[in-house]
Amino acid sequence: MRKRRKERKARRRRRVLGRLIGIPALIYGGLFAVFYYDLDGKLLYYFVEPFMKNHFDRMERRDPHSVPYGQIDDEYM
Amino acid sequence: MKKPDFKNLDIKKLARDFIHGKPHEERRLGDLYIPGTGLYKHREWRGIKDTMYYFNNIWLYNYGNIVMDLFRYSNGNPKVLLQFLKGTWRYRWMGQTYLTVLHWFDRGLEGLRGEALKASAWHYRALVSASLSQIVGMFMRDANIGGDPELRAKTMAHDETVWGGIFYPYKDQMENIPLQMIPYFVTCHCNNHTVLNYIDSIQSLGLPGDPCPMCQAESGLYVEDDMPDFYPAYITTNEACDGSVATSIITDWLAQKPLFAMPQPMQFDDDTVLENCAKEMEGAWRFTEEKLGVEFHWDELVKNLEAQNELMRFEWEKWDVDANTPYYPVNGVAQALYRIFQSQYGERWIWHQVDAKVRKIMEKCVEERIETFPKTRHRVIAWSCAPLYYSNWCTWAYNCWGLNVVINMDSLMFDMEIRTDSYENTLMDMAKYHEMAPMRRNAVGGLHHIFMLWENMERFNCDMVAMYDQLQCKGMQGVVGLFEDEFRARGINAFWVPHALPDKRTVPRSEIRQIINDYMFTVMGEEPLDPTLLDFDDSDSW
Repeated sequence: MRKRRKERKARRRRRVLGRLIGIPALIYGGLFAVFYYDLDGKLLYYFVEPFMKNHFDRMERRDPHSVPYGQIDDEYM
Repeated sequence: MKKPDFKNLDIKKLARDFIHGKPHEERRLGDLYIPGTGLYKHREWRGIKDTMYYFNNIWLYNYGNIVMDLFRYSNGNPKVLLQFLKGTWRYRWMGQTYLTVLHWFDRGLEGLRGEALKASAWHYRALVSASLSQIVGMFMRDANIGGDPELRAKTMAHDETVWGGIFYPYKDQMENIPLQMIPYFVTCHCNNHTVLNYIDSIQSLGLPGDPCPMCQAESGLYVEDDMPDFYPAYITTNEACDGSVATSIITDWLAQKPLFAMPQPMQFDDDTVLENCAKEMEGAWRFTEEKLGVEFHWDELVKNLEAQNELMRFEWEKWDVDANTPYYPVNGVAQALYRIFQSQYGERWIWHQVDAKVRKIMEKCVEERIETFPKTRHRVIAWSCAPLYYSNWCTWAYNCWGLNVVINMDSLMFDMEIRTDSYENTLMDMAKYHEMAPMRRNAVGGLHHIFMLWENMERFNCDMVAMYDQLQCKGMQGVVGLFEDEFRARGINAFWVPHALPDKRTVPRSEIRQIINDYMFTVMGEEPLDPTLLDFDDSDSW
């Protein structure tokens, strides 16, 4: 009974340890894949930039002709 | 792409290439590109050590530090994230441009190994951090996106070629942020797609297409209503050609804020001109004090000038190594962009942090005699103003032809320390520094200044000139023939690099490469180190 409990504890420890090492290793490996295959560049180039470009193209902008001309600045010399 | 010959695989060589990276001549860097885009099928394998350095210390480190810098530059204010998102959504130059920043690193650092990779990447890190200081500064204050009015009230905006040092006496009471350095200048290097909108928008008002495209793009920012509202007043200059006086006129019209004009004199060797320039600087101080309610602090001025002098002294050490040894670890584009940004923007903590890192690397290279660019065939000096959309051409030129651009004109413009022993001496030196602005110091500041090329060519032991030809700069167009004559008379190997500063449509990058290729084949009679880089399509690249 005790032996089995000990074994269960050891297995749990191994599992926790495995997760502690494995999950960061997986994330690190995943990030390396993103880096190596330039997935960040591809995401930005094919999806993010066209989306943002459309957004900015559609944006309402001030008509520069509506701004009055002729502000006079003070002298400081 | 060349298909691998599986039958005759050399396992030992494969292992060696995997561990140390391929020899220069076998890299075939041109095969890595996806045609048209400038994207990589995969990033370059530089050997285990350098690839992991790039991944950990450049790619991951810089993505992480971009986030950290947001908090650093807002003094830990959590609102910065919201402001950053709002700014990204509001301004094209932000939302469409700066997210691609790590590709800016990729383009500039292609093919680099070892200490050259490290030192050049540190320069890029400083550029990104200094850019973020301005981005955060603008967004935290911007009235268009709900920025803080109290911060805004203590901020002076200025043309990007007004030296940041003008505001040193007030650094403990206010912030100064250049108007166009981030919305215009850095965008062209990072992602040159967006600047074209601003050039087109000013032309939509009726401006003809032939003035300097820098002036056009800077004015276009206001026409497009894409300039953050982060300042109560601003200081302009004729940065440094008269074409850009028009930029100030249009800015004055559309910004509707108090303005002080502080010109850079055309002929700046005259002492009476210097005195007048000093008076104008004092005028700028009075303007700043009145508009922001700040006081002139002499100690603050001295403290910042001394810190800047320290940066200058290290730059001289770098130039000494660069000029006289093959151990200089900074490549052409990193050297150019770092120095122009640092000397123009003025004193900031990041320059000192990066200089300390680079000093260590450089000293190691000298002590251990590490040849950082071992395939150098020609030591090149790049003269006049560079194409902003292809500032990394020199990285390509080294990888393809072994052309090592060891120094460039813009690095050399602020070549002086500033005295801090008395008000009069300090004022005169500051005025002189202001006069030596980009484009004025050596380009459109008189023939004897533009001809300082010859002495700098000797100083840096160069045997070739890359002569930039900004097609829309009327000042520089006037001296093309004189240079041609001098090159012939002096027997100097020189090629022209035509461009239109930020506008890649006038002279595409591929055309610049073709001109250099033709020169190297026909005049120099040389063969490329990496033939896959001779011709490739990067027409829609960032």
